[in-house]
Amino acid sequence: MRHPGSRTGIIGWGTYIPVYRIKAKEIARQWGFDDRITDSIWIEEKAVASADEDTVTMGWYAARSALVRAGVDPSRVGAVFVGTESKPYAVKPSSTIIADALGISTRKLSTDLEFACRAGSEGIRIAVSLVESGTIEYGLAIGSDTAQANPGDVLELTASSGAAAYLVGPANESVAFFEYLVTYVTDTPDFWRRDGSRYPTHGEGFTGEPAYFHHIVSAVNMLMSESGLKPSDFDYAVFHQPNGKFPLQVGRMLGFPKEKVLPGIVTPWIGNTYNASALLGLAKILENSKPGQRILVAPFGSGAGADAISVLVTEKVLEKVGRAPTVEELLSRKKYISYAEYAKFRSLIYRNLG
Amino acid sequence: MMVKTYVIGSGVTRIDRHYDKNYLALVDEAVSRALAASGLDVSDIEYLVVSTAFSETMLNQADPSTYIAQNLGFRNLKTLTVSSGEVSGAVALDYAHALIKAGKARKVLVVGFEKMSEYPSWVTNKAYTKILEYEVEGIKNVTPPDYAALIMSEYMRRYGVSREDVVKWSIKMHENAVKTPHAQLQFTISADSLGRALRISEPITMLDSHPVSDGAAALLVTDESATKKTGREPVEVVDVESSVNLPVYLRDDITYFSATAAAYKKLSTKNEIKLSKTTAVSVYDTYDIYGLLIIEALEICEIGKATKCLDELPFLNVSGGLKARGHPVGATPLYQVHELCELLSGASWAKYDGDVALAQVMSGPDNNAWLILLKRWA
Repeated sequence: MRHPGSRTGIIGWGTYIPVYRIKAKEIARQWGFDDRITDSIWIEEKAVASADEDTVTMGWYAARSALVRAGVDPSRVGAVFVGTESKPYAVKPSSTIIADALGISTRKLSTDLEFACRAGSEGIRIAVSLVESGTIEYGLAIGSDTAQANPGDVLELTASSGAAAYLVGPANESVAFFEYLVTYVTDTPDFWRRDGSRYPTHGEGFTGEPAYFHHIVSAVNMLMSESGLKPSDFDYAVFHQPNGKFPLQVGRMLGFPKEKVLPGIVTPWIGNTYNASALLGLAKILENSKPGQRILVAPFGSGAGADAISVLVTEKVLEKVGRAPTVEELLSRKKYISYAEYAKFRSLIYRNLG
Repeated sequence: MMVKTYVIGSGVTRIDRHYDKNYLALVDEAVSRALAASGLDVSDIEYLVVSTAFSETMLNQADPSTYIAQNLGFRNLKTLTVSSGEVSGAVALDYAHALIKAGKARKVLVVGFEKMSEYPSWVTNKAYTKILEYEVEGIKNVTPPDYAALIMSEYMRRYGVSREDVVKWSIKMHENAVKTPHAQLQFTISADSLGRALRISEPITMLDSHPVSDGAAALLVTDESATKKTGREPVEVVDVESSVNLPVYLRDDITYFSATAAAYKKLSTKNEIKLSKTTAVSVYDTYDIYGLLIIEALEICEIGKATKCLDELPFLNVSGGLKARGHPVGATPLYQVHELCELLSGASWAKYDGDVALAQVMSGPDNNAWLILLKRWA
């Protein structure tokens, strides 16, 4: 039986990581945390969006790279979805700004999606369905965030900025086609930001076992059960990365050896880019993959839900890697800043204007 | 004739962060197991004594005994809640013991519970700090691990004990917890982890401290008339004693737990017992350093030398102690009694042939110490 979505694939991908980095230990020292806390969750440094960057600018950059890699004329893109929890406007879509700036046709579906860190992957799933049904030719799904964290909260060690974009289209044009896509969702209050609140709140340990681990394990097991695949059938596994430790831990729980998980881990060097987190990891894998390799990608969003997606790499990937900046290039392009500069860039300093 | 008191059945839940169960569900599980072990029925119970330290602060629930009774289907019985900080469970058992001794009741159900993982750690820590004196310590932000840190530093300095020596206690506790089905931290640790362990209050780290725990324990405490019904050997509650210490900041020697020592002196003189290295003891090791000081105060090891005699104590905290079995505060003393009853009745993983066992319970750093003496069915 053909699995829904299997006639579609990734036509192009693109990413963005801001150039600025702050060392996690500097944040720890700022607030008097035990230095070893950064080692305990494996976070070295995080990417910081500059004062003139936001979800829209980063999302645009990633989307443009995706279109360049795809070689698809923007006028043929029939849907643009932006998954974010840090949109610049509370009311006004980010997706329309990005779409117009890219020259995408006015005949399109366009909306912002919110599901904590997995709205970007929900965008992929919707684009897959629209392409599969013939409603659109190509769909663009973007995950982009300038993640907030209450200053002094442990979340501040990891909450960072970044974007990833995927152009979804017909499988026969793809660099990697979708084999199986499943999603596992429950009402689990592990992390939230109430309306009017500047920073999110989280349930500490509750964000782990009953949220992140339960949902990813459930989604992946659902995919394995429906597909008949097993961990040994995959060359790589990419999970949502709130820190460096969790993806290794969930990989171990699911039976994936460390060697299959490590290549997709980016968080220790750029922090948790929220909606771009697992999608940046997938991009890094794609850029180093060989045709015929199978990748498992499992994003997670608080609230809570996880996707499990199996993709098979095609020969087309080889010619497209060099068309836009790779994740490794973006990772190595960096400038360190102090906590004070970070506080200025992220508007953590209250001041009167005008 | 003097009335004797027995534990004829007991039951506990696995200690964990039970995100999916409220306190009533945990209590229900423990009570069902205790009733099944005792051979008694709900309708047999005359008195329900409930122990909890933080139900009002953490669960917004005053007198949970009423709601536990309603939930369990109890009607014609008396209920009350005991809330005496970290020693609540020992006080609840003493109350049941006194009821039986006084002839006020013959079958008492003692239930202890705590749900410590309902809120983020700052809320839990704020509640837990209330075991200290708020107007003196709480208001100045002195927390329980701060005292443990002061006491550990002074003990190491005075007796030339190394950091690695102190953590031997925790290593032993984790080894025991691996063999205990209801223990929370069922994994081993080593001194190599000290360098990586997160500091709570220098030199106290995660390796030295109890975890945040949820759990419930239940004991069926009766006079001799009910002992025939139980499928397991009843265990006699011989005596419960206690003593109160000076505040930490007024003590001449912060490395000597004199309340535990004084309670032990009263208990041992009255009952003509002396603990040995092979007596089963269960002590309140909220921090590993406290475990060491307790076994010195109980005269099991010489002052300043507890770390050197740990290997000679086969029945010390066989469940893993508060350090590794866990510390669902209001229930912890009842877990201790449950575990010692299992040891005395042959139901434990450890095979013990001694006749008596002792549970030591305390609030904070020996502010208030309680001892419960148990004896094998003769």
